Amino acid sequence: MTVEVMVGNKAAATAAKLSRVQVAVAFPVTPQTTIVEYLNEFITKGEMDCEFINVEGELTAQVVVQAASRIGVRTFCCTSGPGCLYMHHPMHDTSSLRLPVVMAVVHRGNKGMQPDHTDLMSHIMTGWIQWYVENNQEVLDSIIMAYRVAEDMRVRIPIAVGYDGYILSYTAEPVDIPDQEEVDDFLPPYKPTPSLMPEDFDPKAPRWWRVPWEEHHKVIVDAKEVIKEVNEEFGKRFGRSYGNGLVEEYRCEDAEAVIVAMGTIASTAREAIDNLRAEGKPVGLVKLKCLIPFPYEDFQRIGSEVRAIGMVDRNVCLGVGGVGHTFIRNAIYDLEERPRVLGFHAGLAGKEVKVSDIEHMAEKVLKAARGESVSPLVEWV
Amino acid sequence: MEKLTIKDIPLEEYTITPGSACQGCGPALAARLVFKALGDKVIRHEVPSCPDSVTRTPYTFSVFESAGAALTGISRALKVLGRDDVLAVGFIGDGGTYDIGFQALSAAAERNEDVLWFCKNNEAYMNTGIQRSSATPLYAWTTTTQIGPRGRGKETPRKNLPFIIAAHHVPYVATASIAFPTDLIGKVLYAKKLRGFRFIDILCPCPTGWRFDPSRTIEVARLAVQTGMWALYEIIDGREFRLTYKPKKLKPVEEYLRLQGRFRHLTDREIEEIQRMVDEKWERLLKLDEEGEFPL
Repeated sequence: MTVEVMVGNKAAATAAKLSRVQVAVAFPVTPQTTIVEYLNEFITKGEMDCEFINVEGELTAQVVVQAASRIGVRTFCCTSGPGCLYMHHPMHDTSSLRLPVVMAVVHRGNKGMQPDHTDLMSHIMTGWIQWYVENNQEVLDSIIMAYRVAEDMRVRIPIAVGYDGYILSYTAEPVDIPDQEEVDDFLPPYKPTPSLMPEDFDPKAPRWWRVPWEEHHKVIVDAKEVIKEVNEEFGKRFGRSYGNGLVEEYRCEDAEAVIVAMGTIASTAREAIDNLRAEGKPVGLVKLKCLIPFPYEDFQRIGSEVRAIGMVDRNVCLGVGGVGHTFIRNAIYDLEERPRVLGFHAGLAGKEVKVSDIEHMAEKVLKAARGESVSPLVEWV
Repeated sequence: MEKLTIKDIPLEEYTITPGSACQGCGPALAARLVFKALGDKVIRHEVPSCPDSVTRTPYTFSVFESAGAALTGISRALKVLGRDDVLAVGFIGDGGTYDIGFQALSAAAERNEDVLWFCKNNEAYMNTGIQRSSATPLYAWTTTTQIGPRGRGKETPRKNLPFIIAAHHVPYVATASIAFPTDLIGKVLYAKKLRGFRFIDILCPCPTGWRFDPSRTIEVARLAVQTGMWALYEIIDGREFRLTYKPKKLKPVEEYLRLQGRFRHLTDREIEEIQRMVDEKWERLLKLDEEGEFPL
């Protein structure tokens, strides 16, 4: 293991290298571009044995990884904002064909260059597992874990690992780089099922086609157990894990109220929670890492332990509301005693989210937890 | 191309009776001939098209616009796995080639991906029910280029796609016809031995869409070539040009057009206009053939 100070995009490229990706495809788009450049550098220097294809657009990038994965090689793809949206059509098939593609999504929102989560969240119905990560170490670790989860025969579903553009993509932090042998041990080579090679092909077998909706849904729901297992094993081997792999709780013990945050906002929220705990206020943080499949069980448990939840959404499903807010309210509905669930839209279009903003949110949620009236229930910060 | 006689056509069959083909289906016959020539070390790629070709080879599919992308992925993965004995073959309609698939096609050609691309060209979107494509010829009726006081069928001639692909300087580009099986298979066998991007555009009459009696598919296909409406040629390395069928005299286009309901509305003047266009193009092709060079 070595420690290197690196930007988020280098952490992503390094993870692809450590995962022994065999075919990597991308079309440059800010703020993802330097991943493409790092990969090119690794390959040109001979540090990485990988077929890299400079394609003419993201739709092609997505189909190239889809087809290569089907033939039987480990693939990596990366994109941002508009490129992520341009891929939408074939992303459905990558999941429907149950192909273990892993893709880094360096968040750039849908209204300009600035980061928010609206790019990846526009793909909620494509059947991809979606993770939102907090720092450069988690970028590297999550991409390696993503291959292990995606290639597990119980899953075989593609995974998008999202991290905030600019805030992580171009910001350097110390990152522990695991040894290649350790990663090889954790991540065995990929084998396609079924094989498409002419010698293995049975023309009488049913045509391999898109998986039916119900089965597709259930596979993704059941992937939660595999994600938890892989996260735990990663922790044992590498000394780092991220909550239970789905959510990560920070200072939630005896909390009356919790803030739920995703991506880099979770880092800001840790500091705000520390400040409020220092003042004796019983608030905690839940980092929501895995949006799809949604960890309903975790929120039902958390919902039964606290009296109020405040979801910080770096997104808005226009005409509906915050995606996290909506999902959490859905999760707690069946509880006999439900906590209050407040919503905050923050950090959209790259708007800065300060520690004081989170403190304000947490105090409001704590008030709600103590039965005081708060208004509005959903606030734009 | 390789010179063959009818006896050289391989006996093996790799297509299974296509479920969705109509009687007299041109593309179904194209599939039969092409895969005979390719053999069994093939991964066939398809995008939505008509008919749904069925081969005894492994196959993949992807979204309509993406054949060039998928073939790239297949070919690169085969390279990584050291399987250069297996061919990445696209068997794609004119929509997936000329139109919605054009971006990925051009990009794959520019990268000189190691793939064989066959366009089963029936000159319209037959899968959705006969809508015009950019391979549809001038004045042809389709359901989106109808005939009436304000419409005379398709307003513009077809896109010259084989020349566009040849301008990517790829190893092999050819046109072919199901009515000339030795010419077609000779081209497939030649292309099979090359590496890099290879493209063969096969005119495949569609009785349903072109409105002719299904028993006359071969006759229509043959007349397309004999009248010069569909010239047979090959272009090697974007450099050498050769007509592979050169009759002393072309038959009048009217013989071809009058067999088809999609041209039933044509006036004599319109037929003359098409004849002039074909004559002029044929003269230019003969000149290219004489020089033997594809223009830069």
